[in-house]
Amino acid sequence: MIEVNNLCKSFGKLNVLNSITTEIKKGEVVVIIGPSGSGKSTFLRCLNLLEQPTSGEIIFEGIPITSPKTNINLLRQKMGMVFQQFNLFPHMSVIDNITLAPVKLKRMTRQQAIEKAMDLLKRVGLEDKAYSYPGQLSGGQKQRIAIVRSLAMSPDVMLFDEPTSALDPEMVGEVLSVMKELAREGMTMVVVTHEMGFAKEVGTRVMFMDEGRIAEEGTPEEIFGNPQNPRTREFLSKVL
Amino acid sequence: MKILFNFSFLNKYYWYYLNGVKNTIFLTTLALFLGIILGMVLALCRLSKNKPLKYFSGLYIEVMRGTPLLVQIMILYYGITQFVPFPEIDFISSFLGYSSADFFAGAAAVALNSGAYVAEIIRAGIQSINKGQMEAARSLGLTHSMAMRHIIIPQAFKNILPALGNEFVTLIKETSIVSVIGIMELTKAGDIVRGATAKGFEPLLVTAAIYLTLTFTMSKLVGLLERRMAAGD
Repeated sequence: MIEVNNLCKSFGKLNVLNSITTEIKKGEVVVIIGPSGSGKSTFLRCLNLLEQPTSGEIIFEGIPITSPKTNINLLRQKMGMVFQQFNLFPHMSVIDNITLAPVKLKRMTRQQAIEKAMDLLKRVGLEDKAYSYPGQLSGGQKQRIAIVRSLAMSPDVMLFDEPTSALDPEMVGEVLSVMKELAREGMTMVVVTHEMGFAKEVGTRVMFMDEGRIAEEGTPEEIFGNPQNPRTREFLSKVL
Repeated sequence: MKILFNFSFLNKYYWYYLNGVKNTIFLTTLALFLGIILGMVLALCRLSKNKPLKYFSGLYIEVMRGTPLLVQIMILYYGITQFVPFPEIDFISSFLGYSSADFFAGAAAVALNSGAYVAEIIRAGIQSINKGQMEAARSLGLTHSMAMRHIIIPQAFKNILPALGNEFVTLIKETSIVSVIGIMELTKAGDIVRGATAKGFEPLLVTAAIYLTLTFTMSKLVGLLERRMAAGD
């Protein structure tokens, strides 16, 4: 589904990503772990071109998204993204947050979009918040709404950029359970996280990044049970 | 004892002041309205990735903020209107009691100047919106201009509304400068009363008192607006 070839990204003289090559297949839940500054978020943000790669190639569903001829806006409609800071639109009600993109991008009529939004809100247990404003919600509720907002576009892949890092500990669970549910339904997901429990339980593949490279990748059992790379071992011994 | 101040001339000349206030308010409103449109365009150019647009609007803002409004007005009125005359529109002229072509020239000069300041207000307002808002909008597939229109500008507008209110207060005072090209607004009206009554001082005090009433009322209204907006957050 997503093919990444020799992806490099530098900010000025700082090389954040050093030639990343990997492939994300349909239905996979790829969990990216690693120390801060290892390039996890930058890698994720390159996948939907929120960061412009310095060099290399990313192919999404057969289309080279890094080519200047590609209409990135169309591709982004198929790639949902959830941010650490939620980034809900504070001047709009929850329902408007969710229906804005499907309606404005003419994917659905307003009525259809509202129906779909209510459906999704029910699934995350927040249908009673449809007409609230983001400022009235807790962090966990905001993040669940942000997930719903992305799902309203019926994306083929969901990118999660540390979705629980800004949450109070007691709210992490409610967001993770929505993500687990999503994974069970077969959604292709790429998740940058520090939640090792989630990685073990839900991940089909764990990618350990260090200094802008994929230092090691494998099934959760391989990475957590028998890490080969000394950097992986060192990292895991600190976080587990 | 000699009467120090004598305002009895107002019985005869109050009409000049009323007409002047009306024209000052009209001039200020028109100039601010045009200034906001111009400022919006300049701000978007300034923030755009298009280099020529970016530099042109930067240059415009520097020139307008770096030269006196008085000089700009004279350049427009004595220079540019010779090549590009402003239209004389009869019903507006009769509403103003003054040549609408000259009036438009004055309003245009103030608007061209104010637009530069408004552009900076709007730019700051747009830049004050968290970067994550744009990223979230783009990640949903919205184009840059859709994200601007539906996400960034509505939020920025809320932030800049009080600053625009203050710009209105400033403009009420600054429009007095178009009296140098003879436009019949409040300052010019006071000047005419001075000439007609041969009183050097009192008519000016009346002019000042009217300006103060206008600006004081406006800044109180802006303050009210600001508090209501803060309560809305």
